[in-house]
Amino acid sequence: MSIIEISDLVYTYPGASKPSIDGLSLNIEKGDFVLITGPSGCGKTSLCRTFNGLIPHFYSGELKGQIIVAGQNISGKKTFDLAKHVGLVFQNPENQLFALSVEKDVAFGLENLGMSRDEMRKRVDWALNLAGIYDLRERSPHEVSGGQQQRVAIASVLAMQPEIIVLDEPTSFLDPLSAERIFEVIYKLNQEQGITVVLVEHRLDLTVKYANHLVVMDKGKICFEGNPRDLLCNEEISRIGVGIPKATLLYKKLKAAGFDINKQIPLSSDEIADQLLKVLRP
Amino acid sequence: MSVFDGLKFRKVSSPIHNLDPRIKFIYVIAIFISAILFHQILPLAILLLIQLPFVFLARVQKQWIRSLRGAAFLATFIFIINILTKFFYNNWTLTALDIETAIGMTMRFIVLVESFSVFFLTTSPDYLGLALEQSRMPYEFSFAFTTAVRFVPVLAEEAQTIMDAQKARGLELEKGNILKRIRNYIPILIPLIVSAIRRSLELAEAMESRAWGAAKKRTNLYLLKLHKGDCILISVTALILLVTIYVRLFLFSSIPLMNELISRLI
Repeated sequence: MSIIEISDLVYTYPGASKPSIDGLSLNIEKGDFVLITGPSGCGKTSLCRTFNGLIPHFYSGELKGQIIVAGQNISGKKTFDLAKHVGLVFQNPENQLFALSVEKDVAFGLENLGMSRDEMRKRVDWALNLAGIYDLRERSPHEVSGGQQQRVAIASVLAMQPEIIVLDEPTSFLDPLSAERIFEVIYKLNQEQGITVVLVEHRLDLTVKYANHLVVMDKGKICFEGNPRDLLCNEEISRIGVGIPKATLLYKKLKAAGFDINKQIPLSSDEIADQLLKVLRP
Repeated sequence: MSVFDGLKFRKVSSPIHNLDPRIKFIYVIAIFISAILFHQILPLAILLLIQLPFVFLARVQKQWIRSLRGAAFLATFIFIINILTKFFYNNWTLTALDIETAIGMTMRFIVLVESFSVFFLTTSPDYLGLALEQSRMPYEFSFAFTTAVRFVPVLAEEAQTIMDAQKARGLELEKGNILKRIRNYIPILIPLIVSAIRRSLELAEAMESRAWGAAKKRTNLYLLKLHKGDCILISVTALILLVTIYVRLFLFSSIPLMNELISRLI
């Protein structure tokens, strides 16, 4: 069942001469882990903004085509209605936390929805635990580290119990280890809570192993789309400026030299290590 | 950065910090009114001493003394102006009574400053925002207030980064006369303002994404409740007000002046 259906989307920011999204159609299934990648300025962020109606409601501009999210056409819905279904996590953790304590920040969305205090308490604790930051709940957001701030942002979106979580380069301000922790939290949500995840990310090295649907964008369009393993075999993909995982590159080089170690293309260093070990120690 | 240090609030737990900010505010107002009703040294000295247990209970002596030191300049100014006007007014003569009035005026100012500083030193901005919210203020106001407080350290850090960047490009901040120095700060201010505007857009986006404006009546995770300490403070405030009003109405003229006390002693 599709949870996001976009057909023939064309969007131009107010005052811009050419469209940022130029004829894009995309179907995302419920429970998917979708990874969107592509060079800077290819329209990834704009696409994310359409999922909860920030485009066109917040940004205005010109929108053509149809977007249906969780069974609702976004053009007739306010962003706060869609916020219950779609949670958006942004790039800079600092600019999405407003309150003076972590806990209050996680409660922010629920307070806006007018939820009762008991229910709110339960949801906040649940979200804090899932994101692994329950111990930080009384700290101030600006005293915790960047990785922790981003987890606060994820928890605050989670507390609203959306069906879809959209993360727009959530780790670009973080070091690789904190980034990996964030991805693990996201993967856990996808696997255990069945939340549909849409992740925009450059670092395929760290993320592609989690995804079951890879979307490669360029110039406001989707160039390639499908299962990550199939897509990464494609030679053209590296020409657009997509960072192919090192493990996949190694596999390709070995294959070009005549060593086809496995039928399946590896996505992470663990996988290629396993495959190589099988060959080296039969 | 040190300029902004004073604005950073550190979370401390003490009987005074945990008091309901609304009650504390009423208490400050009561002290304020009392201080305005008297000009004699004796009642003002009492009002000054009443604050001390608060300061010690809250363990904010150091910061409190620092804030008093900050007020010292203005206090001296008030004292000198008072003395001078009296001096010129009375044809170049000065009586002991004039000095006493001047001291009284200065003390009144100090009482006002220190009671407010106790309030702000012991009330977390978070709590203050909550109090604003729960005294039927429109939420937008208290949100603007807490967000402003939250972003002070962020902007301070950013100002520092921009300063470093501009200095690395050869900007000399501490050069020239005062006007030149002020002009030196323009290359700091413009990027700071631009980035603050950009930041505010991102914030607005994040707020929208978290259902800002969804429900007509917003709820709140925390509820301010009155505890035992708050009741005690209410009683103390009421007592201070009652005594003040009583003394002001019936005993005002019989409050002894320092001059009389001293001359009686001699």
